[in-house]
Amino acid sequence: MNNCVPYLQKTVVLISILLSANLIQAQLPKLVFALQWMPQAQFAGYYVAQEKGFYKDAGIEVEIEHPSAYIKATEMLASGKADLISFSLITAMAAKNQGLDIVNIGQISQHSAIMFVAKKSKGITDLSQLKGKKVGIWKSGFDEVPKALLAEKNIQVEWIPVSSTVNLFMMDGIDAMTVMVYNEYNQIINNGLNEDELSVFAVAKYGYDVPEDGLYCLKSTYENKKLQLEKFLQATLKGWDFAANNKEYAIDVVLNRMKLAHLPTNRVHQAWMLDKVLELMKPGDKNVAAGKLKESDFLKAGEILGQRNKTRPVYGFSDFYKSLLK
Amino acid sequence: MKKRTLSAHIIRNVLLFCAGLFLVTFSIYYYFIRNTIKETTRENAIFLADNTVNRIEQVLSPAEKVPEIVAKMLESSFLANDSLLPFLKSILQNNKNIYGSTIAFEPDFFADKGLYYAPYVFRKGNSICSTMLGNQDYEYFWMDWYQIPKMTNASYWSEPYYDEGGGNILMTTYSVPFYTMKEGKRTFSGIVTIDISLDWLTEIMSSVKIFKTGYAFLLSRNGVIISHPKKDYVMNQSIFTIAKENNQPGMRTIGREMILGKSNFISADFKSKWHSGKLWIIYRGLPSSHWSIGVIYPDNEMFASLHKINILLVFLIIAGLSLLSFFTVKIINKLTAPLKKFADSARLIAAGNFDVQLPEIKTEDEMKELHNSFSFMQKELSEYIVNLKDTTAAKEKIESELRIAREIQMAMIPHIFPPFPDLPQVDVFAILKSAKEVGGDLYDFFVIDGNKFCFAIGDVSGKGVPASLFMAVTRTLVRSISDKEVSPAVIVSTLNKSLSLNNESSMFVTFFLGVLNLETGELRYSNAGHNPPVIIRKEGTAVMFEKTKFIPVGLFEDFEYGELTLQLGHGDKIFLYTDGVNEAENADNKLFGDDNLMGIISGNVNASPRDLIHKMEEAVASHVDGYTQSDDITMMTIFFNE
Repeated sequence: MNNCVPYLQKTVVLISILLSANLIQAQLPKLVFALQWMPQAQFAGYYVAQEKGFYKDAGIEVEIEHPSAYIKATEMLASGKADLISFSLITAMAAKNQGLDIVNIGQISQHSAIMFVAKKSKGITDLSQLKGKKVGIWKSGFDEVPKALLAEKNIQVEWIPVSSTVNLFMMDGIDAMTVMVYNEYNQIINNGLNEDELSVFAVAKYGYDVPEDGLYCLKSTYENKKLQLEKFLQATLKGWDFAANNKEYAIDVVLNRMKLAHLPTNRVHQAWMLDKVLELMKPGDKNVAAGKLKESDFLKAGEILGQRNKTRPVYGFSDFYKSLLK
Repeated sequence: MKKRTLSAHIIRNVLLFCAGLFLVTFSIYYYFIRNTIKETTRENAIFLADNTVNRIEQVLSPAEKVPEIVAKMLESSFLANDSLLPFLKSILQNNKNIYGSTIAFEPDFFADKGLYYAPYVFRKGNSICSTMLGNQDYEYFWMDWYQIPKMTNASYWSEPYYDEGGGNILMTTYSVPFYTMKEGKRTFSGIVTIDISLDWLTEIMSSVKIFKTGYAFLLSRNGVIISHPKKDYVMNQSIFTIAKENNQPGMRTIGREMILGKSNFISADFKSKWHSGKLWIIYRGLPSSHWSIGVIYPDNEMFASLHKINILLVFLIIAGLSLLSFFTVKIINKLTAPLKKFADSARLIAAGNFDVQLPEIKTEDEMKELHNSFSFMQKELSEYIVNLKDTTAAKEKIESELRIAREIQMAMIPHIFPPFPDLPQVDVFAILKSAKEVGGDLYDFFVIDGNKFCFAIGDVSGKGVPASLFMAVTRTLVRSISDKEVSPAVIVSTLNKSLSLNNESSMFVTFFLGVLNLETGELRYSNAGHNPPVIIRKEGTAVMFEKTKFIPVGLFEDFEYGELTLQLGHGDKIFLYTDGVNEAENADNKLFGDDNLMGIISGNVNASPRDLIHKMEEAVASHVDGYTQSDDITMMTIFFNE
């Protein structure tokens, strides 16, 4: 027994050296990535890429941050707390208009998820019947597209800003509301209303198929960390690809992240969300490659922005979109 | 075959009857108990649900009063805005259930207070803190607790939520809108709220236990699980997501009924991972918050106690029947034990041991009677056997005498055939079969004067010894009379005279006597009431003699008998018989008859006397077919040879 002790000591020392070597090797270039909302399946691809080590394999370290009620993602970008963020196209363009020098380095979603929802029991079966009705709309943004659509159709409604729940709609405080197909719409279903009891008007059906989630960073970051951003985008797309092929795993990862953030977890809802988000990423009838922003979408978004905010973008497509994909 | 005891028979029947009785009783009992349990459970479940609803309402209902009163006070301008915070603090101090409270005003309600004005007091540990709500990041106007009552103009219990600041406590907020007069119009001015902690809910809800695994759960207005034994579900799942996850549309249907505040008690139209069998559910809406309580329990547990009782009952029945069998066997064996001894005794008595000891019977019942009967039988048998021995001895003696008498009687009549080997003109064959040891029939033949063949046949009235004696007398008289006379009429008349004398027993004899002249073939005969013989001509015709007018001999002393003559040709035959032949009876009381008799003769006209008689004998035996011979049978055939 006594003879064993020196060997054991030597082994421990050796392992320690090996481990520290590993630690040195793990000092990869780090990117802080901020999402625009709390953890949910909308971001499954990023979580999966992180969990499966796709970022590390690509040679970058990625830290995922979530905004709080008090600090918005754009602020995190501006203040340098985040290197890049996930953001909706129109909101990002509006921010750039207002002087935040950001560029789009990858477009994840290719379609609009926005819909108007009304109860059939209220007698609303056609978009035009929203005229004069109380319509709930997100207080926190995404209002440009639905508002532009109704303006174009000359449908005057009483817009009621709502926070993040569908309760006002459920309680009949409003006649209709805007929802994301992957989120609020399913919440309504999960609150006991049946799909056949609802009238649904997707803005995409009315020519407003403006893509939403994309990846943004400051122009300076783009110029300084181009290689890392490229790796990030590749690994992210790989993560989404893996999530699409391993949905149960992806949902597990999402639910785990939600639990860590002390959020209510509901597998059924997250599964719905993942399905819908993945659908939105497919090109569908658009001629666009995964991860890329289409110029016509950029122009459409600019047009809407011009109508709504009376400030058309003062920059061109190439100033806004920097493709990192060959 | 296996021997079966009396007790086995009784036990089998008693057991079958008892088992049947138990089965019927048990079925009826089971049916009624099952229904009773179902009904009782239904009542219990309804009571339980109502009781739970009441317990929750006892907290929620009084809590509603506070903001409602505050709203009224605000409407009547009872409260000055600088006294709001102290006022709210006093509310918290006086209401332990209330966790926080705010009075939130519409934007820019007070010209000097800015956009937001919402004094808020809340508990923090044991102290009560205060703050003002509303800033750029918390625009309370858009919060559900503010916006929903405002838009719906109605008080509102919020969907439960976890309090972010206060240690993960499940909370709910009750909001009451208030209005003030502005430019003469009642205008919406803000919201009064109270925050209620829901940690007491868990205690109330988890105290609802029904059977082994039955439980209660609580749904919010949106169907979100507020309380459930499965902690994972609480605030994470709604009844609709659980329904979707488990693919149970029936659960969704019930969920929709529940959030509408409906009440029901039904067999749940869905399956649960928790319990695979049939489930029952009762649900009730909470009047205040419009939440809904559901109580659910498995069908099989409802009857679990019944199943236990059933097992016990079956066990008891089996045990009871076993005991019943055991004691019945014991009792019957004890009661019937003497029977076996009686059986042994009977066997010994049957074997001739009349002095056998009978089993001792102490009871005064049927067994005693049997004993007495056996004892009587033993005595009677004993006496009978003694008598029987004497009788048998006497009978044997008589039988022996009768046997001798028969030998003597049979020796009286000729029985060696052919009787006259040196007299070729005539061939004779005859038989006499007595029905008893000795009989009353007779036949005889002999030759008178060397060329006259005398023959006779007779039948004495009655049978047995008297008849045989009368026959013997008749035969002896015939022989002695015919020594001096050759005329049949004279012989018969003389015989009649002799027999009639001193005939006190009034016996008589039918009698036929013929004398055949062997040289001429002339037959002279006299028939005293006897069956007419049959003449069989050589050429094959057979006819009966005409019926006689004369009465049997032995009846009237002075009766004169005549005689008739018949010419026989060579080759002719005469067949004589007694009524034992044509009146032979079979089991159906059917007589052999003259027709049968003539038929046999016609079929055997050329047969020898011996053969003819044997044929007739066979025909009679075949007709009688083993039936007891009731009368003597006598036949005689005489053949007049060439």
